[in-house]
Amino acid sequence: MRRIAAVAEYIFKQSFRNKILNVLILFAVFAIGFSLAISELAREAEVKMVVDFGLFAISLFAFLTIVLSMTVQLFEETELKTLTLIIVKPIKRYEYILGKYLGMMMTVLMNILIMLVILMLIVKFRGGEPWDIKLIEASMYSFLSVAILASAAMFLSVVTTSVPGCIIFLISIYAMGHLTIHLKNLADKTGGAVVKAAVDLIYYVVPNLELFNMKDKINSSQALFDLNYLGLVLGYTSLYIIVMLVLTSIIFSRKEF
Amino acid sequence: MENVIEIKGLTKIYKALDFWKNDRVVGVKNIDLSVEKGEVFGLLGLNGAGKTTLMKLMLGLLKPTAGDVKILGKSIDDIEVRAKIGYLSELPYFPKYLKVREVMDYFAELLGLPQRSKKARIEEVLEIVRLGAKSDTSIKGLSKGMQSRLGLAQAILNDPDLLFMDEPMSGLDPLGYKETRDIIIDLNKRGKTIFFNSHILSEVEKICHRVAVIHKGFLIDVQPMKTAMKKFGSMEKYFVAKIKAGDKA
Ligand SMILES: Nc1ncnc2c1ncn2[C@@H]1O[C@H](COP(=O)(O)OP(=O)(O)OP(=O)(O)O)[C@@H](O)[C@H]1O
Ligand SMILES: [Mg+2]
Repeated sequence: MRRIAAVAEYIFKQSFRNKILNVLILFAVFAIGFSLAISELAREAEVKMVVDFGLFAISLFAFLTIVLSMTVQLFEETELKTLTLIIVKPIKRYEYILGKYLGMMMTVLMNILIMLVILMLIVKFRGGEPWDIKLIEASMYSFLSVAILASAAMFLSVVTTSVPGCIIFLISIYAMGHLTIHLKNLADKTGGAVVKAAVDLIYYVVPNLELFNMKDKINSSQALFDLNYLGLVLGYTSLYIIVMLVLTSIIFSRKEF
Repeated sequence: MENVIEIKGLTKIYKALDFWKNDRVVGVKNIDLSVEKGEVFGLLGLNGAGKTTLMKLMLGLLKPTAGDVKILGKSIDDIEVRAKIGYLSELPYFPKYLKVREVMDYFAELLGLPQRSKKARIEEVLEIVRLGAKSDTSIKGLSKGMQSRLGLAQAILNDPDLLFMDEPMSGLDPLGYKETRDIIIDLNKRGKTIFFNSHILSEVEKICHRVAVIHKGFLIDVQPMKTAMKKFGSMEKYFVAKIKAGDKA
């Protein structure tokens, strides 16, 4: 436990000393800029747009946080070979993987919370209701989607050897993750057996990120509070993360340095 | 005497780094070696002879192609064993975003040092390697030799029973040679075992009880320092003679 915490703490420190916070400043500038740009519209419509756009920005920048954090880590591990001295210490390989994952989650959680506060301030400034539960819930879904992406990133980092390769893969997963469900629907309706099988494969390997997309649900009154849906998403997320981290640990424990 | 290192038939064949990974490169071949508790053991060999490969195999950083390694009577995969060893790598690199003291704290946590005495132990070790004044400097602000000293500091942090050092003196100033030597001698006086490799034969001569020569992946000679010195007069003559004989064989 102590060893896992030590690794997590390091990854957290590393993210912030690497100015990953800059992503947040970018967010603030973006969000404020947008909310000023649309000040011509009527107040009702305006608050709604600020919220929609703000939530989209939170999910995007949370993903960017993972991409940056992963890049920094990979660079340090591969180019600077910092791992040898750590891996000979009395820490199990899976403990290292777990610590790293938790460290990344702490970084993202912190980032999302700060972004959420910025968004709430803007909403308030625009005359909306900052304590709208929808804002908080949608941000939580963003966090879950990034938690899934980060576990996929951990897996990629142990199977690919090049930093750019890993990052490109990760971005493809992000893009595909939003498409798979639509692809599957399309293939189920029109595709032949082979196409269907191929799409199914992608559907089950790549995380289904549309599950976390609250854009369509945010404006309907009840959908967000659906406990069944939340349970389904939580179950899916935990299962996916566990599978990814187990696979990552197995491959990592066979790795040579 | 009890053996702290026991190696049998150890072989490492690397896949070469060409595109298809078809070629094979011998790292080390068929090595048998035991090191007793309380020994200072020196491994000599030319560049590319297999010294680092052998050490990484012992530390579990590389997986053997064949053969078996026992450290302190057990497998190195046992974390109890790893808690009792120290390792200074060839080119020590550190987490870049930490200060010297934070690096040591990170490693102390991984080693599971007692929370109470941790801080004092870190200060003590940093004083030993003469980095006390730099404890609030970030890694980026260290010179190459200072990084080597930090490498040494983390290797002795847990007061290891068995210390592995891959070229511990490289990059150090002349005073650094003496300090490293003093650290090795002090640990050894307290019953600890040291296994190291070095190209600095004058230092090897001063501190080792036993020496070995590795050549093209084969361990071609092992003998007590005293015997080697009696027979050859100096470590340099010993080393050159063994390499020549190894080339002929
Ligand atoms: N990762 C690797 N992949 C392929 N071959 C390798 C790898 N690491 C080492 N080798 C080869 O294994 C052999 C032994 O290398 P090793 O690093 O053990 O030498 P060394 O004795 O430590 O040399 P030096 O004195 O330069 O440190 C060399 O021929 C080297 O080219
Ligand atoms: Mg070497």
